[in-house]
Amino acid sequence: MRRRLRPFRRRSTLIGLALVLGFCLLAALAPVLAPPLNPADPWPFMNVSQSFSRQPQPPGPGLPLGTTPQIQNMPQYGLAPGQDASYQWDVFYTLVWGARSALRFGLLVTILTALIGIAVGVVSGYAGGLSNLLAMRVTDAFLAFPVIAGVWVIQRAFYGNIYNPFNDPTTLTGWEAFLYRARIDPIMIAFILFSWMPYARLMNAQARRVKNMDYIRAAEAMGATGGRVIWRHLLPNTIAPAIVLAARDVGGMVILASAFIFIGFGGNVAWGTMLVSSRDFVIGLNGNPFAYWWTFVPISLALVLFGVGWNLLGDGLNAALNPHGR
Amino acid sequence: MPPFVKQLLLRLLALPLTLLIITAALYGIIMLAPAEERAQLYLPPRTPPLTQEESQRLMARLVTEHGLDDPYPVQYARWLGDLLRGDWGWSPTFKADVLTLLKKRLPVTAELAFYAVLVIVPTALIGGVLSGWRANGRFDRGYRLATFVATSIPPFILGLFLLSIFYVGLGWFPPGRTGIYELSLSTSDFRAITGFLTFDGLLNGRLDVVADALRRLVLPVFSLSLLYWATVGRVTRVAMIEEQTRDYLLTARAKGLRERRLEWRHAFPNAVGPALTAMILSAAGLVTGIYIVESVFGFKGLSELVTKGFFVAPDAPLVMGFAVFSVLLVLPIILLFDLLRVTLDPRLREDGLEL
Repeated sequence: MRRRLRPFRRRSTLIGLALVLGFCLLAALAPVLAPPLNPADPWPFMNVSQSFSRQPQPPGPGLPLGTTPQIQNMPQYGLAPGQDASYQWDVFYTLVWGARSALRFGLLVTILTALIGIAVGVVSGYAGGLSNLLAMRVTDAFLAFPVIAGVWVIQRAFYGNIYNPFNDPTTLTGWEAFLYRARIDPIMIAFILFSWMPYARLMNAQARRVKNMDYIRAAEAMGATGGRVIWRHLLPNTIAPAIVLAARDVGGMVILASAFIFIGFGGNVAWGTMLVSSRDFVIGLNGNPFAYWWTFVPISLALVLFGVGWNLLGDGLNAALNPHGR
Repeated sequence: MPPFVKQLLLRLLALPLTLLIITAALYGIIMLAPAEERAQLYLPPRTPPLTQEESQRLMARLVTEHGLDDPYPVQYARWLGDLLRGDWGWSPTFKADVLTLLKKRLPVTAELAFYAVLVIVPTALIGGVLSGWRANGRFDRGYRLATFVATSIPPFILGLFLLSIFYVGLGWFPPGRTGIYELSLSTSDFRAITGFLTFDGLLNGRLDVVADALRRLVLPVFSLSLLYWATVGRVTRVAMIEEQTRDYLLTARAKGLRERRLEWRHAFPNAVGPALTAMILSAAGLVTGIYIVESVFGFKGLSELVTKGFFVAPDAPLVMGFAVFSVLLVLPIILLFDLLRVTLDPRLREDGLEL
């Protein structure tokens, strides 16, 4: 055990661990750091009213990181150009509460994709033959599919009523109401459906590598069923690289989801939603690029650090679980 | 049949199969939605805006007319047949034929993809080989730090900061694809041959257009390539380190070959396989990245169909067309890397099927 823990004393792993734990702490302490208006159902954004200004408000007392205005000129909602809705969102509040949505999104998506991929890879690899060929063909085909198209297809097929602003949420049908209440967005579903392939490929190779080894043969000879061999013998000996891959994926998934929200998809990663409106203040100024830095620097930095933390943690796990490897 | 040709044919045969599997999965997803959603796939061209009642009646008619309550294989085969015949449906959002719409946007996205691949492949391979050959040397340490930084910065955030610094602050690189040339491109006798602005500019003898297009490509291509340069470079580096321990290198060295020749003629071809496999695995991610970067830098490519299509009337033909078209964009990239792998890796040229 002592030897196994040694990689965790590496500086980079410690930094990764500290970052991930820091974000967990931020998420856990959110109600204390940034008290919500409605503790029973906290929304990750805080309207700062009492101001008709459409300029971002700089950091000041009560607003540690200032605000970003949300200007929605919504002709599609029947508003004329002069009648835009405008309010200000507290940046610090979203920075804190966004950690919750990011962790929830990242962990949920990664765990589910990993489970699907590992199941597909191990079962087909252990079974071998035609079913293996078929499963790997399907895996390779899915690899050629850009996930962004999947997000759009799913949003269009299932979220028409949920994202319709004219729709009363109480009129949704059973599963629509479930998706709405559980805050499952199309990005999440698409990521789960279209990013299990690396796990399947990895675990397939692993399963094929060990399935003819003596200990598997011995278990089979003793009459163990296929399921038992996979569960008790094959998985514990081959799953380590998949865990490493999963740890590295958490940050990447959240970042990609934020990118999708940024270019205009609806989603529940609050950091991404916050960056959408800061876009106007990155590009819309002549001369000074960082005049409104607080609208995009803190959130971007949080996203980058979130990704770095999980990446370093993954590297550390890799060193711990796979001492002979790179 | 020479083995190389056989490999080529095998790989070309795999493409339709891939397309078949993905379209089947896509139609399977749409099958879970109500039949009215699928009815939009058969929306007649130039349908005027309808009231809710009229639209409901039309959709009900389309459902019975096109048998959208039929079992899945029947419906899927019918839809695939339409696709193959070039009938991709009519988009109410853009009021145009979907296939024409997609084809018109393709050059913008393809040009970005072309330059991204052109930048990524050589830089990643050369960087990875140089740092892996002298692992833990000074260059290697710098390279590892650079790849770590590069993988930490998400492309869209990088794009945001690059725009902020180089456009707003320094005014070097403007966003958008054409700028003031837009007008002169459509009115003068500028002939669009390939659709790539840089190529068309050369063919028309308009070097000013080429220069402008290249200037506008710098930031998007850079923010797109950085991440893939780092991921592929890392794989190349690890593969080079593994090759160094092989006996054939010891033999070659014992024969007195020069170090440079060992590095590039002996170790590199063996290390290139994993690197190109990594590129094949991230080809779809690259296309997704192109769409995101297009949107950040205001390129009016395929991604604009997505970002403009939000909240407007439901548009199933465009959605499905976009999904199929995206795959059609990924497949040539995969094929290119695959052929490159077969060409560079002598082992794959010799014996049979390997995936």
